[in-house]
Amino acid sequence: MLKLIVCIKQVPMVSELPWDSRTGTLKREVAEGMMNPACKHAVEAALYLKQKHGAHITAIAMGPPMAEEVLYEALSLGADRGILLTDKRMAGADTLVTSLILAEAIKKECTDFDLVLCGSETSDSETAQVGPQLAEELNVPGAAYVEHLEIENRIVRIKRLADDFLETMEMTLPGLVTITTGHFHPRYASMGGLEEAFNTADITILDADGLGLDPDLTGLKSSPTKILDVYSPVANKKNTVITGAVKKIVDNIFDTYGDKIGGTIGKDLKTHEHDDD
Amino acid sequence: MVDSGKDIWVFGDYRNYFRNRVTLQLLSKATELASTTGGRVCAVVFGSDVDEYVNEYIAHGARTVYVIDHASLKSYKVDTYVDLMHRLAFEHNPDTILIGATCFGKEFAPRVAKRLSTGLTSDCIDLEINSDGLLVQTAPSFGGNLLAKIITPKHRPQMATVRPGVFKELPHDYEVTGEIRRVPLPRDLPPDRVRLISSTHEPRRTQKIEHAKIVVCGGRGMGSKNKFKKLFELAEIIDGEVGATRPVVYSNWAPQDSLVGQAGRQIKPQVLFSFGISGAIQHTAALEDAKFIIAVNKNPEAAMMKLADVAVVADANQVCAALIKELKKRIRS
Amino acid sequence: MKHKLVRKTVREFVEAELGPIAHDIDRDARFPWEVVEKMKPLNFFGLQVPKRYGGVELDSISYAITIEEISRVSAAMGLCVTVHNSVGAYPIVIFGTEEQKRRFLPALAGGEKIGAFCLTEANAGSDAGGVETNAVKDGSDYVINGTKIFVTNGGVCGSALIFAVTDPENPRKSASVFMVQNDTPGFSVGEIEDLCGMRANQVSSLFLEDCRVPEQNLLGRRGEGLKIGLAALNTGRIGIAAQALGIAQAAFEASVKYAKERQQFKRPISSFQTIQNYLADMATEIDAARLLLYKACAYKDSGKDFGPEAAKAKLYGSCLASRVTGIAVQIHGGYGYSKEYDVERYFRDAKVTEIYEGTSEVQRMVIARSVLSQPT
Repeated sequence: MLKLIVCIKQVPMVSELPWDSRTGTLKREVAEGMMNPACKHAVEAALYLKQKHGAHITAIAMGPPMAEEVLYEALSLGADRGILLTDKRMAGADTLVTSLILAEAIKKECTDFDLVLCGSETSDSETAQVGPQLAEELNVPGAAYVEHLEIENRIVRIKRLADDFLETMEMTLPGLVTITTGHFHPRYASMGGLEEAFNTADITILDADGLGLDPDLTGLKSSPTKILDVYSPVANKKNTVITGAVKKIVDNIFDTYGDKIGGTIGKDLKTHEHDDD
Repeated sequence: MVDSGKDIWVFGDYRNYFRNRVTLQLLSKATELASTTGGRVCAVVFGSDVDEYVNEYIAHGARTVYVIDHASLKSYKVDTYVDLMHRLAFEHNPDTILIGATCFGKEFAPRVAKRLSTGLTSDCIDLEINSDGLLVQTAPSFGGNLLAKIITPKHRPQMATVRPGVFKELPHDYEVTGEIRRVPLPRDLPPDRVRLISSTHEPRRTQKIEHAKIVVCGGRGMGSKNKFKKLFELAEIIDGEVGATRPVVYSNWAPQDSLVGQAGRQIKPQVLFSFGISGAIQHTAALEDAKFIIAVNKNPEAAMMKLADVAVVADANQVCAALIKELKKRIRS
Repeated sequence: MKHKLVRKTVREFVEAELGPIAHDIDRDARFPWEVVEKMKPLNFFGLQVPKRYGGVELDSISYAITIEEISRVSAAMGLCVTVHNSVGAYPIVIFGTEEQKRRFLPALAGGEKIGAFCLTEANAGSDAGGVETNAVKDGSDYVINGTKIFVTNGGVCGSALIFAVTDPENPRKSASVFMVQNDTPGFSVGEIEDLCGMRANQVSSLFLEDCRVPEQNLLGRRGEGLKIGLAALNTGRIGIAAQALGIAQAAFEASVKYAKERQQFKRPISSFQTIQNYLADMATEIDAARLLLYKACAYKDSGKDFGPEAAKAKLYGSCLASRVTGIAVQIHGGYGYSKEYDVERYFRDAKVTEIYEGTSEVQRMVIARSVLSQPT
């Protein structure tokens, strides 16, 4: 029976999020959360392995208390256990610290794991760093952007596309993979799964102390990278708004941007015959 | 000899060269940064028979190149390259390491950063030195809707992966010479834990739309499958490709491989026409590299309108039809 | 948290699978079997059936949320699912013998057979006592003859609960419920009704001509028909209230979106106080309807008599749906009247929620009776 771990993250559902300049962190609690899309695919990959080989799946999420929701979601999809790592002092952790915390949880709660699955990147921070750094912290081999995987005799065979190279690789378990959103299309949670998840809820909640970590080493303070400022580029963008009658709009577009568009395709768009419309 | 503690290293990512020019772009930026910090620009190259790239990097800004050239390094392998970079960096103490944000770079850099217990900023679109002499790394998040300026105040080296295409490479300098430091392959290098069984080059996997200079994207706002068809007509006249949002693909108004978004294609057109798209991050995340965006939407408040260079508040179908009509006139003449 | 996740999960599914076709299945009056196939493994057809028979048994609020979210995208499919669950399968759960449950529930819970509830006849609408379909004992069987009209899910049902009188002299006292499968000889489906709204739902007549069923297919006891009917309808009303809420919610969201986009007199119409008043009233009343519904759910789950609460929820919710959808069309102006926009479909769908599973007039009867029977 395989011991699988899926690291999932709750990300905000909105595209713009208020930034708390006082604490230097994002105000995540304000927005509705959802499971990060790539993480959903990682869960699906784990479920694929469970269906094929039999497995025990532990889902781990790190975040504010409301992140518990994605653990329930994972349970309702078929994960067997959930672990929530939450602590106010963990706020502002960058990927180096995050991977440390996740690794600690895995070493403590999921010894002898076979495979860790992560989403390739999150839709909010988009660093794609936690997966590889977690592999490093756990000192296991890793492969990112996995599209197909099969396990046989403690060897996982992977197919992935990276930089136009289609690669088939093998690694001996334990290992870590990150899954992209291109494959392992996520299933929908069933109502039975949801009911089961909330009835039997095997969710463990741990904070820094529970993990045996010095709280000072888990958050913003100990993160090597610091965010100086966060701003919305759209606010600074020179955005021209055009309204009015369609004919006038189109003439405007050609007059003002005809060169740019035409230049791109190597055609002259600015001159035309004036015909009687 | 300049103190190596101020050096700026650039990892030589030469796969898919000549199309992949990120290393040259980074060498150029590193040269600019070094002029303020006073360090040396060094390239780091691992591989087999890589002299061609070593010389190329010198010609494009590297004053020193560290090379580990060995047959066993022919293919890019994360584990091994991480080990080599770790040892080199540990020995020579560079101030900064820049790596191109290719798929390899994005898997390689985090592990190096972890080994060196330092910070890493991913997918930067700008780098500069501030008054404290620190590298300020600008990176996007939330599909490009937020930009963050990040520093690594205490930990060294400062590390960043940089998005290909944001910096301009220096012209090839045929005169300049540089120092080549050949490092032997360490004897105690552990075997790679990930065994490469096969590796085939598959450039045709990327679709035309990913290289298209003009893209015409349509969303639910187009209204119906029949109306959406007009976009194909527009794209045809303007030599562009058609892209679509997830709801459109789900409704079968456009084929699956025209999906532009986090789960679909990333596009980098010179000009992007966006019709009837509200601008969910799953879609806009794939538009970060679009140079010029004209969005047409009835709703001036739509996120896509805020993201666009030109926001046309009008009915998408009408504007599309009018553009087609006008283009037919103009291109004919 | 559970209810939030239920809502998110159902919404994600229906928006992806039903959303793109909701308009077309209404226009073509087409039942989307392909979506039903996808709903089956998600337990949509076993929401009130115990686990041991293949179902899920959601708490009532989770159930209401599920129906609301489906109806928000396609009221016709919301109707299909709630009728199947509340009045098609649930009565068997409450009144069936162990043997009957084992025989009928798994196929219903798995969506293999879609359920229907057949009470209404040409002469029996609000007056359920006017049922003329009769069931005559013949040996160890019953032979059923009659015609049921306006059967929701009629055209697609695999299993139907048929109300028939065993003693035509005493219809009220002898009304009984029989479980009839669609492959029973003598059971046939009439033409699919061409309706104003809920068009994707295959509402039809059902003909029973010498339909022979074993006595083991009698649900409950002879003469318990009315009792079963009322119990079924009480639960059904929660589902309909949820459905109406979903329609109202959809119309409301469309109105807000449109009001922000539509510009007249050089400003978005959402800046005009009249529109703002409409939206404010909609928001308030939808909240009120939701709370009434959840109150009825709470009563049901705590074992209390929830009939009057369900009636209030259904009465208020359905009237609200009609009102809100009417205003929604108004806000959209001419565009609201066109099939290019969804609001006219919400408008057409809403009306019938005031009629089926007990007309608003009947709901008022139920509520008044409850009010007047309270000790003063």
